[in-house]
Amino acid sequence: MSATLALLVAVPILASTLPLFLGLRFERIGWPIAVATLTVEVVLAALVAHRVFTDGRFTHELGGYPAPYGIELVADGLSMLVVVLIAIVSLSVLGYARVAGPRRNSFYVAYLLLCGGLMGVSLTGDVFNLFVFLEITGLATYALVASDRSGRSAVAALKYLIIGTAGASLYLVGVGYAFVATGTLNMVDLSNELGETVAYTDPLVVASFAFVAVGLGVKAAVFPLHTWIPDAYAESPDTVTAYISGLVSTVGAYALARLIYTVYTVEFFEAVPLAQDALVALATVGIVAGSVLAVMQPDVKRMLAYSSVSQFGMIVAAFGLANETALIGGVIHLIGHGFLKTGLFVAAGVLATAYGARTVQAYANLGYRSPYTTAALGVLALALVGIPPSIGFLGKWYIALGAVNADAWVVAAVIFASTLLTLLYVARLLETLYFRPRDSVDIQFDELLADGGERDDPSTRVSVGMVVVAVAFALAAVGLGFAAPLFETVLEPFAGRYL
Amino acid sequence: MIEDPRPLAAVLVSFVATFGILAAHRHPDIREGVTIVAALAKFGIVASMLPGVMDGTVYESNIGTFIAGIDFTLRADPLGMLFAFLASGLWIITSFYSIGYMRGLDEPGQTRYFASFAVSLSATMGIAFAGNLLTIFIFYELLSIATYPLVAHDEDDRSRSAGRKYLAYTMFGGGVLVLAGTVLVFWLAGSVTFTAGGIEGLAAVDPMWGRLAFVLLAVGFGVKAGLMPLHQWLPEAMVAPTPVSGLLHAVAVVKSGAFGVARVVLDVFGPELAYELGIAVVVSSLAAFTLLAASFIAIRKDHLKQRLAYSTVSQLSYIVLGLGIFGWYGLIGALLHIPAHAFMKLTLFFCAGAIHVETHTDYISKMAGIGKRMPVTLGAFALAAAGMAGIPLFAGFVSKYYLLIGGFEMGGIALYLAGALLVSGVLNIVYFWPVVYTAFFEAEDAHDAKPLVDFRPGGETRSTVARTDGGSREDEEIDPDAIGQPDFSGTSGRRDYSEPAERIDGEYAVDQHPSDHHMPDDEDDHDDHDDHDHHGGPPPSGWQRLTVGEAFHGRETTWFMLGPILASVTGAILVGVVPHQVLFLELIEIIVENALAGTEVLP
Amino acid sequence: MSALEFLTTGYAYLAFAFLLATGLYMMIASPNLVKKIIGLNMFQSAIFLFFVATAYVQGGSVPVIPQEGGAVGEYASPLPHVIVLTAIVVGVSLTAVALALIVRIYTEYGSLNEETIREVARR
Repeated sequence: MSATLALLVAVPILASTLPLFLGLRFERIGWPIAVATLTVEVVLAALVAHRVFTDGRFTHELGGYPAPYGIELVADGLSMLVVVLIAIVSLSVLGYARVAGPRRNSFYVAYLLLCGGLMGVSLTGDVFNLFVFLEITGLATYALVASDRSGRSAVAALKYLIIGTAGASLYLVGVGYAFVATGTLNMVDLSNELGETVAYTDPLVVASFAFVAVGLGVKAAVFPLHTWIPDAYAESPDTVTAYISGLVSTVGAYALARLIYTVYTVEFFEAVPLAQDALVALATVGIVAGSVLAVMQPDVKRMLAYSSVSQFGMIVAAFGLANETALIGGVIHLIGHGFLKTGLFVAAGVLATAYGARTVQAYANLGYRSPYTTAALGVLALALVGIPPSIGFLGKWYIALGAVNADAWVVAAVIFASTLLTLLYVARLLETLYFRPRDSVDIQFDELLADGGERDDPSTRVSVGMVVVAVAFALAAVGLGFAAPLFETVLEPFAGRYL
Repeated sequence: MIEDPRPLAAVLVSFVATFGILAAHRHPDIREGVTIVAALAKFGIVASMLPGVMDGTVYESNIGTFIAGIDFTLRADPLGMLFAFLASGLWIITSFYSIGYMRGLDEPGQTRYFASFAVSLSATMGIAFAGNLLTIFIFYELLSIATYPLVAHDEDDRSRSAGRKYLAYTMFGGGVLVLAGTVLVFWLAGSVTFTAGGIEGLAAVDPMWGRLAFVLLAVGFGVKAGLMPLHQWLPEAMVAPTPVSGLLHAVAVVKSGAFGVARVVLDVFGPELAYELGIAVVVSSLAAFTLLAASFIAIRKDHLKQRLAYSTVSQLSYIVLGLGIFGWYGLIGALLHIPAHAFMKLTLFFCAGAIHVETHTDYISKMAGIGKRMPVTLGAFALAAAGMAGIPLFAGFVSKYYLLIGGFEMGGIALYLAGALLVSGVLNIVYFWPVVYTAFFEAEDAHDAKPLVDFRPGGETRSTVARTDGGSREDEEIDPDAIGQPDFSGTSGRRDYSEPAERIDGEYAVDQHPSDHHMPDDEDDHDDHDDHDHHGGPPPSGWQRLTVGEAFHGRETTWFMLGPILASVTGAILVGVVPHQVLFLELIEIIVENALAGTEVLP
Repeated sequence: MSALEFLTTGYAYLAFAFLLATGLYMMIASPNLVKKIIGLNMFQSAIFLFFVATAYVQGGSVPVIPQEGGAVGEYASPLPHVIVLTAIVVGVSLTAVALALIVRIYTEYGSLNEETIREVARR
């Protein structure tokens, strides 16, 4: 039964070879294979979710080697939620990708590989194995970003590659230090050794935490390590943006939370308050900085990218506060942001496909031309602001309550103010969509060809599936706003274990 | 406490109707039909709970846990009923009026308008029936969102900027302050459920935290109630169509702010604790300042809706002020002012809207003699204005009477607050009387320049109609509609007597309208859609004289507008003459009794 | 541990720090994309060196159990070697992707200079 965990990782990775082989014979085989694989993934994720829900945490020893020598896959409340998010988002984005492309088989190789990598990051219980999966994730992401084969996206991908690899390498340095200090790589084992055989205040441990935090901070696009994110999101094809925006930095932040709580544990924070303060301070600055940068962007995708920086600031701040409420809030916001951003980018992609609208200005009056897509966009954007009832509000509520519980008044104030900060760019978007007449702006038609000219099929057709995906995400964003009890039941054992 | 789906149904009925409205966007008659049906259904649902609530029953719909420790509850208790009954009843009237107004002006975006209106009413019901702070916050935020399309309705620069300002202010009040206050209360007391007499856990906490939470909540809700210095959004929001200004920005939205403050005082902290914390007096003083300052500003406003907006700011502070006086009478006065002001202000806005639709006149300085043209409308306006000033037999008198007694009873600083109320009554006359006077007792070719305070004592004579002498040749080229309008070019020598002060200032005169530096500053480059603002005034031959009989035959304005005006003015008089019979006072006595039960402030 | 002792026994760690810094500097400072990748490789190699150095045991043997059985005595820790092997594989594939991207960039812009490409791409 616990083999489901291994299957979750293995199925997409093995399936990612299929489009290449079958592609020799069939032309457009990538999409069906991806759909089949990811449907299996959703089913597996549901099985895992069910089991975690009923029995709690469970593990799987890869190859039958027991931990701490072998590699463990672990499913607990936190990783289960991330796994479910990955499975659902991966499958739904396919609904968008079918018409929007890219349609090459090689695209789906990277697509499935990324899914496998993400699953691996979420499930592994071994710090070095985490590095490997992070790099698999990275590799697939770099390939996906450049998958429209344009020069601009290649530059963005290379920039992302250099920064991302540097981040992963720094993480590896941190792992190395921790390994030198304790002689083990298994997460649970590490957390037992740390504080026991070696003091938390040992420079080796502190340095290892610093490297790990910075390395994963790069992956999670925490300010000021976010510089890869605007280019990577803005230049990649819309399908890819939707896919990676909801998942890649999400698992980065997940890995950070996992390392903080499972490996270093809150006792480390108590022993080294500077580490906690620095993390929370940077994240809090990031909330403000990300929003301000977002407001300044004329390009919608860039704006949403900076918005991610701000939101991940909030998530990491919550993880840094290290109390139960904040932790639950951070996880809810992590999952919620995944849904919201994917939906937003899908909606933005639909508008870009239909009208070539890529700047805020070009969105003028589109509210009446594509009522469903823009309504979805509006709902998702408002959820991002934290208007209840929505998943965005839930996260904000718990994080704010956590900050108050932790007596972190500055953080609490910034989180309350973040309503207005987010509103700054969201209101601009909504106002343009609904209340700026088309003729009042001068629209440059259009970046469409420059951006999409080299797709294998520069189709401007919007399929029903694309709109349905956007609307579904919007409905999910509102529906999940009522799921707080569910989140609590799932996360309480996790929080209880590590706090 | 009875489990009952009706509070939930009252919230949902207009929300569901929204989809009907959107679906019927090609068929205006069906669309408006849906609105009316939803309004009637909503009122029916609310009214069906009224007898039970009067007998002390509380109907509750519990949808389940929303967040750990907090349920998503809607419940109809007396205080909620007061607001819900009022808002849902007035929505019916306003729906008819909206039809007359929107069709009369042939406004674009009517589907969006009616849909947003329905959602706004859903949110308002949610606020009224919310069973705890979190639920009220949810609907409070939804209300901000739902009314935004109504404020930005005109799709021009001015309304967009007003919409932006509106969102920024209300979100600051809601998403920042109220949320912070809610979190704080939850953290302090472990519960946010409204409890008559106050949440239990709160009494035990450190008073400093209690004060902080109180200020956050009171000011957060106060933003929507137009509490200075956070009132700026309200005058700006007057760019919205008049029914919006009427129902939402005089009743539903602003009252939801006042209602929120009432909930905080009565059901979160409880009058006793709020009194002990001593902080409510600060809020009351802020309200006293607001009601005086807003009155003074209103005197200087020439744009009728702006004057009404500042009047709203001022009148809402009566409510907030009364809530800070705490005593039996103070609380009754404050709560009774909610329906009283609603009827009166709705009448006034309806009148302003009718004048706008029929004559495109927005500025008081151009309304000389307009009573001839619209006798019924202006008559209703005069009655409602009298009520505002607190003249007996009108709604405003009863509530103000209670407030004053409350103030004197409490003594101390409350005496000053009562003094502010008295002064404000005089100021009300100062800013409403000129409108009535100019409409009925002045002629279009010889009247005092308005606003009066901007001119030398004794007044200066002006003429709103085109002069036959002294006009430049350009007069002949100007279409009749524009005669009597200020000359925006600023280059011709032609004097425009309807726009005072301007002539002295020269070139950009019209931009420096004495009453308002926000409203007209970029009018020149608007499309003709909102040119209404500087069209208007009497036709060259002066106002046509209509008898009351002719007015009732639809010559004055359509019955879609006349009916609602008469209905709301009747309401205003009824509340003034027989407050008990229209149920509001009785309901309020129940509320106050519950809130004060077992406390020492009970007289 | 005195400074001199560290220089004699811990020189591998010094080399690690030096290579790491050099690689990082190349990645940041060089405008040439290929040189950036070389810097990245150097950066990673430094980390490999670090891992291998931690596993070294003075006088230790290979961590392989002799065919005839019996203890091996002191031996170098095998785990870091395995880690490094894996990391090298990861590094190689990254380099491959990076170079593929660079090829694509070169055919598009005809330059490997970061500044030039940024200027061209902006148009």
